[in-house]
This record gives sequence, structure tokens and C-alpha cells, in this order.
Amino acid sequence: MTVMAWDRRTFIAGTGAGLVTLLAGCVGDDGGGDDGGGDDDGGMDDGEGGDSDGDDTGGDDTGGNGGMDDMNVGMVYATGGLGDQSFNDMAHEGIQQAQEEYGLEFQNAEPDAPADVGELQRNFARSSDPDFDLICCIGFVQETDLVENAQEFSDQNWMIVDAVAQTEEGPLGNVASYVYREHEGSFQVGVLAGMLTGMDYDHGGGSTNPDQQMVGFVGGKEIPLIERFEAGYQAGVQHVSEDIEFTSAYAGDWNDPATGQEIATGMYDDGADVVYHAAGGTGAGVFEAAQSEGRYAIGVDSDQSLSASEFSDVIVASMIKRVDTAVYGSAGNVYNDEFQGGQINDLGLAEDGVGAVIGQDFEGELPSEITDELDSTRQAIIDGEISVPDNLDDL
Amino acid sequence: MNRADLERLLDRLVDATVLERVVISFASLLFAIVVGGVIVLLAGIPATCRDPAFVFAGREFCYDPIEMYLTLFEGAGAFGSLTNLGLTLQETSVLLFTGLSVAVAFRAGLFNIGTQGQMVLGALGSALTIVWVAPSLPENVVGTVVIVPLAVVVATVIGGLYGTLPGLMKAYADAHEVITTIMLNFVAMGIAFYLVRNHVGDTTTDSVQTTPIPDFARLPPTIDGTRFSILVLLFGLAAAIALYLLYERTVVGYDLRTSGLAPEAADYGGVNAKRNIVASMTLSGALGGIAGAMYVLMVHYRWETDMPPLGFDGIAVSILAGNNPLGVIPASLLFGALKGGSLQIDFALGVPPELVEVLRGLIILFVAMPEFFRMIGSYAGYGTDGGETDG
Repeated sequence: MTVMAWDRRTFIAGTGAGLVTLLAGCVGDDGGGDDGGGDDDGGMDDGEGGDSDGDDTGGDDTGGNGGMDDMNVGMVYATGGLGDQSFNDMAHEGIQQAQEEYGLEFQNAEPDAPADVGELQRNFARSSDPDFDLICCIGFVQETDLVENAQEFSDQNWMIVDAVAQTEEGPLGNVASYVYREHEGSFQVGVLAGMLTGMDYDHGGGSTNPDQQMVGFVGGKEIPLIERFEAGYQAGVQHVSEDIEFTSAYAGDWNDPATGQEIATGMYDDGADVVYHAAGGTGAGVFEAAQSEGRYAIGVDSDQSLSASEFSDVIVASMIKRVDTAVYGSAGNVYNDEFQGGQINDLGLAEDGVGAVIGQDFEGELPSEITDELDSTRQAIIDGEISVPDNLDDL
Repeated sequence: MNRADLERLLDRLVDATVLERVVISFASLLFAIVVGGVIVLLAGIPATCRDPAFVFAGREFCYDPIEMYLTLFEGAGAFGSLTNLGLTLQETSVLLFTGLSVAVAFRAGLFNIGTQGQMVLGALGSALTIVWVAPSLPENVVGTVVIVPLAVVVATVIGGLYGTLPGLMKAYADAHEVITTIMLNFVAMGIAFYLVRNHVGDTTTDSVQTTPIPDFARLPPTIDGTRFSILVLLFGLAAAIALYLLYERTVVGYDLRTSGLAPEAADYGGVNAKRNIVASMTLSGALGGIAGAMYVLMVHYRWETDMPPLGFDGIAVSILAGNNPLGVIPASLLFGALKGGSLQIDFALGVPPELVEVLRGLIILFVAMPEFFRMIGSYAGYGTDGGETDG
């Protein structure tokens, strides 16, 4: 499996044109919280310039203004592991960007099972050669262990994605937490799927079945986080029309493409035109099914028409979740000595933490009524005119 | 090689002395290390990496097998790092119980694949007992002395009952225990997941897990910076010795063995074979349940879905030990060391964890196979005195 070969800048250049409204301001915004405190992003807004905004007195090209020398970051990934072309790879992408930008070093650790997560965290925290300036904990699975380890290693800086590290006394002061309102981005792709299934559309490696209006959802594990994706998606579909059939299933695993393919093939056979997955590595099977059935799929976490480019002819869109920016941003904050310990970053559409991005092969190929509608629902969600449910009970 | 050669080989293997078997095991270990090293070396050619370990004949080799083995041994605590040693012994202690669980069933001629499920339910039972009972106990040594044994007893009972089930099906309905125990593993995991996810778990997190157990219910770590508790290791060693004595020195142990291996003969000799089959499976399940309790009390401090496959590893431990309770001790040490070592490789080297799994699998395969064939050979009546699969 090849490592994704795109960086933030080419990504923006490639998708920017048609998506200005969807991704506006995404570049270099670390989404420093929804409290409008955008002043914590240090040297980040100048993606191109790096630290050249500092006084260029020395010839030092990594030092910048007060930047840290020999910075080391430890990365503990979620159990799906690297190569999922999705969540974990997105985090990996973020730390690679930070490596380029700040000249830092990082070390990856991939747990085999949830039980190993705590030990890997402790390994990084204990290490003195090198001494890790930041440990990134990717995924909710790390929460409980992190809460314990962050208290035991209280001088260590940590960051966690998809959970808030807190005790009864409040957020831990040495952990920056990043959570996402995935339901908002999922609503957007739900609108897209709902509109597409109602149309007679034929492009790329698939086409819709005009006789039947049906969309599907494939989740990884049946947990509240993933149900948030499903709830938002279903709400988006219903926003288009209450008559659209909706089917959903869970694979029970983050890294089981075979089951993903089995489930998705069943859905396409039943008449689904579009299937959205929130299942990490399992999603590759959904794309596989879409290709062989000649239907469409929606990716998750990263722009999967790029990260899983062999399926770009059926990946009509992806619900991106900017885990990379969270990792990149927190590393930058540590680098610039502005680490935001204890801060809870709650990122949604308004902060560009999540959003719908059209697939590479479908850029400019979708009917303008869809893209226009996406623009308007996005704005309506940001303005609070549409309230997106974050669990299935509120649908 | 013709059939006669093969039969001669099996005869030879079955007749091997203890010393010969130890030598065979060590030779297999060495052989596995060499083969594994070659695989790691070759896997490094097609892989892409930023700084290859070395370049030879114009080819980039991404992984250095020697460095990897050094890391493996270092991670296993072989080079004096107390933290790493702690991790190895922690794993060893739990494997002692799962290994004994499988071995106990094997001694009665029963193949219990269900240790994993018995362990999962035992762990859940002990975690929930602690979470529910702890608030009414004082948070001091008194609380510890009450709650730790209570958690172990609950896990033993739950694991035991869950082992009784396939035992009953085997004894009275002639349902093969391999099939039923495999099925019951899935049932156990499904029940546990459902209960924790929907009813008894910690609903404040996205993980499917119980609330962490309070500090006073955690076994005190013996080595700073690790969670290893010598109490569990001692308990496990005592259990191994006790079981050895039970099977080798007591009438009960003899009855348990014969009931599984030759039920008709046992019945003829006035032993209730069916009841003994159930008893063997119950004992096996109880040990699996204890392993679960140890995992909660010492390793994870909570129950969480996707428990590590300690129960399945127990099968390999038991085979490697020739199903001898005393042999389980060194066998679990080897497996514990492999676990500690592979975690260190995950952490320190760019070698993908899957490759480390391959390595682990190779070592298990190579070391366990001679014993495995010996068992099969003995079972099929080869060797000078044929007969049972004793240690």
C-alpha cells in the first residue's frame, strides 16, 4: 500500500476552485475552538511562509521565532491502524506536514488492540531519549487510558482526537482535546446523497437507478460516535425528501473490508444508489462494492477520492474531518510554545473542522442544484437555522 | 519420505526423553528466529521507507532483522530493563491461567477452545462486581482484602459455569466440545458487548467499556512504572503446582484423566465418567475466569471490548507445555516475552506490527509443532507404550 502522496497545499489547489464556499478558510486554520479565539494558531495561517514571518536574522530555516529545537512528537494511533486511507492516515498526514513545517521528528505507534493503547502512551511518556514534547492520541479508544496517564505524567503535553480528556474536576490541564461535530458534515453528504438518488445521473464508474430512491450507511462499530455520523447523514437525506428509503448496517470492525463489501453489495442489490461509510479501513470494501455494482459511495475522514484514488470513479464525495489540522495545529502550538492544555476544541462546519468535499472525478460534474443546495444548507447550519441531530433518538 | 519413515519418526518423537524434548524445543526456537529473520529481511525490499536499514547490491533493505531481534529481547526485559521485564511477567502471569485452563481440559482428553470466552465473561463479572460493590467499602487495605478475593471468586464461578455448559453438552448430548466452545466464544463476546454497550457500561465514553475500578481494588504494582504484581505470578505458580499434584498424585486427578480418555473403561472401573467430563470442563472454565479477573485487577483496571486473545494464546501455551501443568510455566514465560518484545518493536522500530505478528506466529509454530506431532503420534498409538498424552 502506498502512502498518500498529497499535501495540504496541493489538496487545496486541486479542490479549491469549485469548493471555495465549502472549504473557505480551511487552509492553515487549526480551528482554535469555537469560542472565536483564533489567536492561538501561532504561525499557522501562513501555510506557505512557514516561520518566515519571524525576524529573519539568523540563517536558521527551522528555528523561526522562538521555535523549539529538536522537537519530538509521539503518535499513538487508533486500533484501525495506518493504511486505513481514512482516519489514522489523516492524522499521519497532519504530523508529516508538521514535520516539513517545523523540522520536528515523530515516532508512530500502532496498537494491536485497545488493551495496548495505555502501554504505548506510557512508553512515550516514560521515554527520555528522546524526550517527547507532545504525544498525540488518535481516537476515542485512548480516552480512559489517557485520563489516567495524563495525571500520572503531569508534565507531559498530550493531545487527543475524538474525546475530551477530563475528570470530575474538569478538563486536564496538560491535554488539548479535539472533538468534531461529525453530524454536521454528515448532514451535508446526506443532502448530496438524497438529491443524487432522486436524479437520473450517470458519470464516472457508476450511475443511479432512477426508479428507486434509496441510500445506505455502513458504520464501523455501533457506538455513539458513529451513530452521530449516521444521525446527521439520515437527517440530511430526510431534509431532501422523507420518501427516500434509508438502510444502515454496522460491520463490527474498523479493519474488515470483506464484511464492508458484503454489506454494501447487499445494499446496492436492494436498490441503493449511494452508500456512505464511517468505518475506517472497512470502507475500502464499500468502495469495492460500488465499483463492481456500478453505483456510488461517499468516503469519510479524508478526501478518499485522493487517499483511495483507485476508487475515485465512484467516490462522489467525502465527509472530511480535519484530524490532520488538529495534529498539525497542536504540534505547531507546542513548537511555538503556545500549547493550549485544557482547551476543548469543538469543531464543526463553522470552524471547517468537518465538511463535504466533492470527489476528484466529480469535480464540476455534479448538477449545480446539488452544489447550490450544499452551499445553502451549510450556511443554514452555521447560522443555526438547521439544527442537526447528533444521535439517532433525536431524528 | 515414505510411510514407514514417517511412522519411525513418530515413534522416535513419542519416545523422546524430557531432555531431548527440551533440546528439540530450543533448536526449533533458533530455527524460527533464523527463518523469521530472513522473512523480515526480504519484506524490507519491496517496502518503501525514508532511511533504509542498509543498502546491499543496489537494493534497499528497510528492516534490519538483527536490530529487530535485539529490540525484541530488550522489550522482553532480557537486558535488565525492569519496566520491560514487568511487562513480560505481567503477560506471563495471565497466560499461566489461560494455559492451565486449556491444559486441564487436555489432560481429560477434552479440547477446550472456549477459554477466551470464559475469560471474557470472568473479566466482565469481576469488573462489574468491583464497580458495584466498591462504593460501599472503605478505600483502604480492608477494602482491598475484601474486594479482590470477591472479584476472583465471582470470576471463577462465572467462568466455571460457562465451562460447565459445553461439558454438559459433551457428556450428556454427545456434542463435540471443540464446536460448542468455539461457538460459545462468540456468544460470550456478543453478550458482553451488548450488556456493556447498552446496560452496565460507562456511557460517558464512546468506548465499549465499564467504569475503571477504584485504586484500592487494583493489585499493587511490584515494579515501578509497570502494573505487574508479583501476587498474580505467585498465585499462578501455586495453581500450576497444585494442578500438577492433583493429576499426578491423587485419585481424583486419575479419575478425571481416565474419564475423558477412556470413558468406557472409567465407567467399568466404577467412575462416573460423564460427571468427570463436566467437572474437567468446569475446572477449565474456572481457570479461564480467573485469568479474566487477573486481567482486570492487574492489567487493564476495567473491562473493555476486544480483549486481547490471551485465551487463544493459552491453547498454544498448553500445546507447547505438552499439557503438563508444570510445563505451562516456561511456555507462558516465552509467550509473555514475545508479547513484551513485540510491543517494544511496535514502539521503537518502523517494522509493521503485522510482520511482528508473523514472527510471533513462526516461533509458536516451530516450537509447538514437535510437541503437537508428539501428541498426535501418542494419541494414534505410536511409540513404545502408546497411550495417553502425558507430560
